[in-house]
Amino acid sequence: MKVLHDMPVDKIFTIKNTDKVMLEKWLYLMTIGRIIDEKAPNYLKQAIGWSYHAPYAGHDGIQLAIGQIFDKEHDHLFPYYRDMLTNISAGLTAEEIILNGISKAADVTSGGRHMSNHIGKPEWNIHNVSSATGNHTLHAVGVARAIKYYKGNGVAISSQGESSVSEGYVYEAINGASTEKLPVIFVFQDNGYGISVPKKDQTATRKVANNFAGFKNLRIIHCNGKDVFDSINAMTEAKKWSLENQMPCIVQANCIRIHSHSNSDRHDLYRNDAELGYVLDSDPLLKFKRMILRYDRLTKEEVHAIEERAKEEVKAAHKSAMASPDPDPASIYDFVIPDPYPALKYPEGVHNFNGEKKKLIEGINETLKAEFRLNPDTFIWGQDMANKEKGGIFNVSKGLQQEFGPSRVFNGPIAEDFITGTANGMSRYNQKIRIVVEGAEFADYFWPAMEQYVEMTHEYWRTNGKFSPNVTIRLASGGYIGGGLYHSQSTEGTLATFPGIRIVYPSFADDAAGLLRTSIRSMGPTLFLEPKALYNSPVAATPIPDDFEVPFGKARIRRAGTDLSLITYGNTTHLSLKVAERLALEGLNIEVIDIRSLIPLDKEAILKSVKKTGRVLVVHEDKVFGGFGGELASIIGEEAFEYLDAPVRRVGSAFTPVGFSRILEAAILINEQKIYEAARELLKY
Amino acid sequence: MGKIGLFYSFNSKKTAKIAGIIHNAFSGIDVQLVNVDEVNKDHFLEFDNFIFGVPTWFDGELPNYWDELLPALEEIDFSHKKVAVFGLGDQKGYPENFCDAIGIMVLFFEERGATITGNYPLEGYTFEGSKAVRDGQFLGLPLDQENQARLTSGRIERWVEVLKKEFN
Repeated sequence: MKVLHDMPVDKIFTIKNTDKVMLEKWLYLMTIGRIIDEKAPNYLKQAIGWSYHAPYAGHDGIQLAIGQIFDKEHDHLFPYYRDMLTNISAGLTAEEIILNGISKAADVTSGGRHMSNHIGKPEWNIHNVSSATGNHTLHAVGVARAIKYYKGNGVAISSQGESSVSEGYVYEAINGASTEKLPVIFVFQDNGYGISVPKKDQTATRKVANNFAGFKNLRIIHCNGKDVFDSINAMTEAKKWSLENQMPCIVQANCIRIHSHSNSDRHDLYRNDAELGYVLDSDPLLKFKRMILRYDRLTKEEVHAIEERAKEEVKAAHKSAMASPDPDPASIYDFVIPDPYPALKYPEGVHNFNGEKKKLIEGINETLKAEFRLNPDTFIWGQDMANKEKGGIFNVSKGLQQEFGPSRVFNGPIAEDFITGTANGMSRYNQKIRIVVEGAEFADYFWPAMEQYVEMTHEYWRTNGKFSPNVTIRLASGGYIGGGLYHSQSTEGTLATFPGIRIVYPSFADDAAGLLRTSIRSMGPTLFLEPKALYNSPVAATPIPDDFEVPFGKARIRRAGTDLSLITYGNTTHLSLKVAERLALEGLNIEVIDIRSLIPLDKEAILKSVKKTGRVLVVHEDKVFGGFGGELASIIGEEAFEYLDAPVRRVGSAFTPVGFSRILEAAILINEQKIYEAARELLKY
Repeated sequence: MGKIGLFYSFNSKKTAKIAGIIHNAFSGIDVQLVNVDEVNKDHFLEFDNFIFGVPTWFDGELPNYWDELLPALEEIDFSHKKVAVFGLGDQKGYPENFCDAIGIMVLFFEERGATITGNYPLEGYTFEGSKAVRDGQFLGLPLDQENQARLTSGRIERWVEVLKKEFN
């Protein structure tokens, strides 16, 4: 194996040969940054804002370098919360930094929605990243996949502190970049601490980049992040090498943290006077100025003039930012999720097509193929996605790779967070891209991806509408297959608690096809839950028009009735229909509403049914306690109480895990008899 | 014997103390003490033999006073001059970069023609990696005041005896 981490770095930039204009520019940027870095705590003291500030002083060399090599026309940059100078060096103005710090409406990062010091400019491909530190490594890998696919001639640059490399998703990201040979530069800014936690408590290797020395297709470069020239040379080499070789590179920059971690930390509690002294002595900005003067590159007067100019710019920026308007509280519901594809062909999401019946699995498979034929910017990946005749754990995606090729249809590693996070990342490349992922082999294994799921729901709101991940997450869900604890879970009760994602759960083949088409064509993320017990079930098979599409938030009356409303979705739609048939034999007329879409919810259809029947039984497969039915019941209670002739009841599974034994499974999961008994109780009122 | 200069930072503490011990070990031989904090390239032209005191800072870096000085020395031809380097490091705290600064310094002066002298055996040290190691020996004298202070004087005596023979 070729060892890539000991390769030399050319010293292109030195104190003696760097152009004077360049040195002036660097000094100006570094001075602007340091003035704001030191001024930021004052805004908090004066109760103006900037309640979170992670000072960058001590990281000056590497941050200047990251910004200088960034090309906003071709590259994508993911700065972390300490990267103020990185942003300034990449082109953000002092005013833009202050607008972010004091959370003004004109903040280019997020309009005051995201925490201060989380700086970005999405329209320049400087991405607004999470506070879940280091999780943007997955986004960088995802967008690098797109850069490579579309031959974008750029790199993705992800920046983070060395402590956040301890996060498992960082390993997933670097493993993926290495496997797929992607042009990503991972910068580790090593200041020795994760807040107060020293490096020795993070990992056994002091230079954490060396933990990755065994990874193939990955170069590692170490540099002195306190030194401007060493940092610029390292980043220049990393970018050149990544572009030429289309492979990832880690740059570990040795920095110091001159101040506390943030304004909520007191570093004197865990650093002694000697350490506090020597980090001050190693101030990178002072070193840069000493070098400039020592080697007669600028005179003292020239340095002074640059410093005065920087002070004036920050002063003017402060004045302007302070006068800038605050965010409007009435805007909080703006940009929660983009408007979906309108699905106007079938505005109610129903049809009268009488063709051959198709199974639910066929409906999904054929819709995927149709959408992939229609839109060349569609991609799908997941575990078990593509190996010869295998296409997905249940073969839902069978034949896709053969037809659309391995660049658009491919396997993911057994790393659900990676699968989900790189979807978020790849969709950043342009808004034409539509991505479908099988988020996990079974919905039960999706939990490792929760943090990326949460990110997905935040993006559009957090960027003030500047970026939406256009991703459909498919999950094979629910039980009734004798699968036990990890092949039977219903996850929607938990996953529906996050604003910023649509959730659909079809129970028939036509609805599955129609909702999938709408999901793929829409902007914003959609969680597409598939009742795996129904994939091949004849009861879920229906005719499907080729162009069928179902709007979000449209329930479907699967059986009309007047005596009782069964409000349901997924597997229990079929159980409810059976109960309705059984009760019909007893002379009762039961209405079955398949909500199909949990978010957005068709409240109008639900309330209309309740007003008609006066009795409601909410039925779902998930546990009653904490299940989505709690939301349905409370909506009905709040908005239709006066129409009710009986209390709203809920039936679902027991508040236990789902047992593997068929006997235990039957005792735990909701079944036809339990629904029948609950319905009968309600009909007594 | 040609002129010997012992270069180190007079503002340092541990390195300055070691420099004093080395100076004493050369008893009877003229070794001039030179403050790196105030030196310029002309000072390097005055000597035939150099002893450089270079502690390793952080995870394997030169101290600022050397790092900022080296660009001034890039054009000097050190052919026919001998260079010996000693450095302080911490085998336990920084085992992956033990006395890296010695190796960085040696490489710089080698590239400018200097003859490196004062290699030292690895025996007695425990660490994981060092730029100061080549061909099974240290390129200079590593000293570990944090963990092996009691061995320092013996190591200096042995090293200086070699230098006395090696210097022109």
